[in-house]
Amino acid sequence: MTDAILNATGVTMRFGGLTALNDVSFSLTEGEVIGLIGPNGAGKTTLFNCLTGLYSPTAGEVALRGKQLPEDPAKVTELGVARTFQNIRLFPSMTAEENVLVGRHCRMKQSPFSSLLHGPGFRRSEAEALTRSAELLEFVGLTRFSDELARNLPYGDQRRLEIARALATDPSVLLLDEPTAGMNAQETEATRRLILSIRELGVSVVVIEHDTKFIFTLCDRVLVLVQGELLVEGTPDEVRGDPRVVEAYLGAPPEEVEAQIHAGEQTP
Amino acid sequence: MLSTFLSQVVNGLILGSLIGLIALGYTMVYGIIQLINFAHGEIFMVGSYGGLAMFTYLLPTAIQNQWWFALPLLLIAGAAIAVVVAVLMERFAYRPLRNAPRLAPLITALGVSVALQEAVRVFYPNATAAVPFPKVFVEGTLAIPIGDGIVPIRYTGMLIIVVSLLLAFALNTFVNNSRMGRAMRATSQDRDVARLMGINPDRVIVLTFVLGAALAGVAGILYGADLGLININIGLQNGLFAFTAAVLGGIGNIKGAVAGGLVIGLVKTLGGQYLPGGTPYDYVWIFVVLIAVLVFRPQGFFGETERVRA
Amino acid sequence: MTTIEKPRPAAVPEPTGRLAGLAPHARTLRVLGGVLTVVGTYLPWATFVLNDGPYPEQSTLEFFTVPYGVTGFRLHLLLFGIAAIVLALAAVPAKGRMIRALGVGVIAISVVNGLYIVGEGGGLGAITVADGVAFGAIVALIGGVLLVVGANAGGIEPQPVWNWRLNPWVERALLVVVVVVLLLLVAAVLTSGGQGGSGYAGGVFLSFLAAVGAAIAALSASGLLAWVTALTERHRLYSVALLLAAALLLPLTSAGTEYWMTVAATIGVYAATAIGLNIVVGLAGLLDLGYVAFLGIGAFVAANLSGAAASTIGITLPFPLVMVIAAIIAGIFGAIVGSPTLRVRGDYLAIVTLAFGEIFVRSAQNNIGGLTGGSNAIPNIPPVSLFGTDFNEGVEIGALELPPGFLYYVLIVLIISAVMVVFANLKFSRLGRAWIAIREDEDAARAMGIRTGPIKILAFLIGAMLAGLAGAFYAHKLGTVSYESFRFLESVTLLAAVILGGMGTIPGAVLGASVLFVLPEKLREFSEYRLLLFGIALVLIMRFRPQGIVPDAHRRAELAPETDPAIVAAEEKVAAEAKGEKS
Repeated sequence: MTDAILNATGVTMRFGGLTALNDVSFSLTEGEVIGLIGPNGAGKTTLFNCLTGLYSPTAGEVALRGKQLPEDPAKVTELGVARTFQNIRLFPSMTAEENVLVGRHCRMKQSPFSSLLHGPGFRRSEAEALTRSAELLEFVGLTRFSDELARNLPYGDQRRLEIARALATDPSVLLLDEPTAGMNAQETEATRRLILSIRELGVSVVVIEHDTKFIFTLCDRVLVLVQGELLVEGTPDEVRGDPRVVEAYLGAPPEEVEAQIHAGEQTP
Repeated sequence: MLSTFLSQVVNGLILGSLIGLIALGYTMVYGIIQLINFAHGEIFMVGSYGGLAMFTYLLPTAIQNQWWFALPLLLIAGAAIAVVVAVLMERFAYRPLRNAPRLAPLITALGVSVALQEAVRVFYPNATAAVPFPKVFVEGTLAIPIGDGIVPIRYTGMLIIVVSLLLAFALNTFVNNSRMGRAMRATSQDRDVARLMGINPDRVIVLTFVLGAALAGVAGILYGADLGLININIGLQNGLFAFTAAVLGGIGNIKGAVAGGLVIGLVKTLGGQYLPGGTPYDYVWIFVVLIAVLVFRPQGFFGETERVRA
Repeated sequence: MTTIEKPRPAAVPEPTGRLAGLAPHARTLRVLGGVLTVVGTYLPWATFVLNDGPYPEQSTLEFFTVPYGVTGFRLHLLLFGIAAIVLALAAVPAKGRMIRALGVGVIAISVVNGLYIVGEGGGLGAITVADGVAFGAIVALIGGVLLVVGANAGGIEPQPVWNWRLNPWVERALLVVVVVVLLLLVAAVLTSGGQGGSGYAGGVFLSFLAAVGAAIAALSASGLLAWVTALTERHRLYSVALLLAAALLLPLTSAGTEYWMTVAATIGVYAATAIGLNIVVGLAGLLDLGYVAFLGIGAFVAANLSGAAASTIGITLPFPLVMVIAAIIAGIFGAIVGSPTLRVRGDYLAIVTLAFGEIFVRSAQNNIGGLTGGSNAIPNIPPVSLFGTDFNEGVEIGALELPPGFLYYVLIVLIISAVMVVFANLKFSRLGRAWIAIREDEDAARAMGIRTGPIKILAFLIGAMLAGLAGAFYAHKLGTVSYESFRFLESVTLLAAVILGGMGTIPGAVLGASVLFVLPEKLREFSEYRLLLFGIALVLIMRFRPQGIVPDAHRRAELAPETDPAIVAAEEKVAAEAKGEKS
């Protein structure tokens, strides 16, 4: 694909004797939202870790705009792949604003000397970062919590703050690991709208989620990962109709899964 | 010269088995509650002074010379006092911090360490200087001629090696084969699951401290009996050596701790003999080993599995 | 003066537990406690002239000769008692909280003075009825206990928040008053009881310290302290300048003697070093147990470049240049010691730093490279000399005669100020945020594009440079540098200073260093027990106040239990707001 922004080819990850990912290949197109579903332990988060440089894959490679990604998460983020975590990992004793400012770290032009001396260059870069943080907090709707410590934020807002923090790194690809876990229907819907507006910004998104209804109403394409292998790839409709998905997904009785997968159809 | 080398090997093994004995306490406590029990070295020191106090002030002079009677008494007294102090320490300093951030118990351990050392210095008669320790065991050395020199082996040194290895073996058997030992291993894997399985983690943790302290107390007595002098600084110094040994052997690993102790003992004596700087720098080599191990192989050299360190 | 936001009056928590039954009598208990405190004040505290002369704060039966004339600790008790009665009867927000603070103060003052009278005056007879009616201490103690019980029985309110805004110039004038009071208070605390070590000096000092502490705690409980803090934040630069001026004016107060200048300079060295350590431990969350080595490196570098006879390098350089070189060399070693952070985390890192510290001490003890003098130390380091003035001599400016040590004092104040600026500037910058992020969650920090390795090493490097700077001063001020000053225990003491004061805060490190170095000076009668008490104190702090005296707003939960009232209040606030959002 020519307009692919992120390409994973043959990504394989083994821990000792355990193969967590086996020959996973996919590509992400500019401005696309991809859903990644699969039963627990299918290797979804492992795939994210391989995409962000936290793990270096045993075999295969990941490339951003044709350039292979380094094995250092910090450098991957600098190149434009940002992520959130399944179990929220904010900086709990920093305020919401500071969390987002940390996300700005790799985009700020401020040397240690500038940090030390607080000269005009420092003030310029701080002002830029503060403006950007304020924008992002407003974007995710957390302006009122700007000065609140992250750990004091309600659960759903912590997830939103994590997204704002990831966006602060100016990513071209955003990886969201279960962004609606633990949320009620209302909050989930808000998150769906938030992800769509992130796409409007021109950011490509990969979402891991257990909530298939959420995935099928949100994503352009869906990947199904089962036992470390990419089982099915296609549009939500294709995936929903695929018998292999029904068979393999969750290991639950087929009718139940069917019901769960088709539940998404009722919502517009 | 071969005899010099072998003498230093012997000295290293003697020191090493003592250090291994102390290291067992570090390794068990760390294995169970992930605490570097910094004060463990001071428990060793307290055991030494405690045994000495018993010997000096309680034992009738007539018995003092009967080593077959005095030595076991000394060992029991040293272990008992070490255990009492360790249990109090666990109960009042560490247990309240069981769920505190990791920094807190470590700093508490430093505080306990300073307090124990100072308590002995202030309250033990004449403890500001080194105190003579009775050489209750047979004094003297076995001289083995090798080449054109001799290799002296102190009788106390032999005692140290035998007792240390026996105790380490006993501990290993206990941890691997007894019911309480299984409970200890279960607790070290996952305290919450162990609790669900009907194990009382508090009891297991106390037991761990008791075992470690008893061994340290015994080590304290053996140390004194071997050198004939003790001072209040032996705890910090040997505690650090023992910690190094525990890391070297893979923290949580009983056999590893003993092996690590032997290695440390050899590093000190052989390093002091052959490395630049001589004896004044023998401590430096141990710390160099410590840093190198922590940096390049924190799981130790005898570790069964790699622990993921937070 | 307008109150924009009234403190929530409904927020008085219900007393729980054993004190719940006393709730209806809370006011009575509080008033009674206050009255007993006042009565205790006027009772005699000692039945006879004590062995070392009369107890200095007029504790004998002088009531009949000087009615109402109380001074010293009895004046403090009197004021506390009256304040408690007034608070108990008046409608003041957070009065329970304030009364509790006063009660604790009354208890502390009575216990300290009671114990000293007993200890120095020859036994229990000195305060009991055995020899007369000298139970002032006991009555005041009961008063204090009643105050605390009454305060708790009535419920401890959350600390109120005041949002008064005044004319900026009035605010500035107010700040001047606050700073002057602070200056006089510091001078009074320093000099109270004299230089310590004789008779009742320790008691007088401790008693005064308790009184000042309780008064500050009560002010803090009233929310006024927080308001003044907010005031200083509104006039940040102005306040900083005021504090600097105040620090430079200390020599003009009663503390302006050679002795106190020397003590202050020593405290200053450790305070500056503690601030450096605070970067490593408080901001970046990397525990360093061998940090004092960098102070030592700085000191040895300066000693070798000072022209001292024992230094093997025959170069003598001017002091400012020496400071720079000492800082740079210490910084290089800092980077070396910090480099294992690339691979080692947590308490293993602490042990690595400890090992480096031990290697330093051992090497210095063995006079490595002939640079440290070994056990002979490097003695006779000449004093700093700039513009033809030796810094260890007194100065006369016009009619003003300043004690010897004044110049060193000024120098260290300037050094500390510079160190503070470094700390504050870094804390509120890209680098500082990266450190804090690493402290909070290193993996998440990396995922946010922070290259954690170099940034952690930078923390060690900068921290070590600051210690090296302080070390250069230390060498000249003391005149002798010996490896013995840089042992493991000193590292623990520095760490304790940082923790005691409050991690990640500037006033914390200074306050911690001051407490840890003033107390031993003042309480020399306990010097034998100094380290024992220090060790026990470390344990108790971790148990009961791990966040330190001046907690960092950010740090609070890091070491503190989750039940910190401030956090609970904040959580409630957030929850309430979230509720408001939904409905």
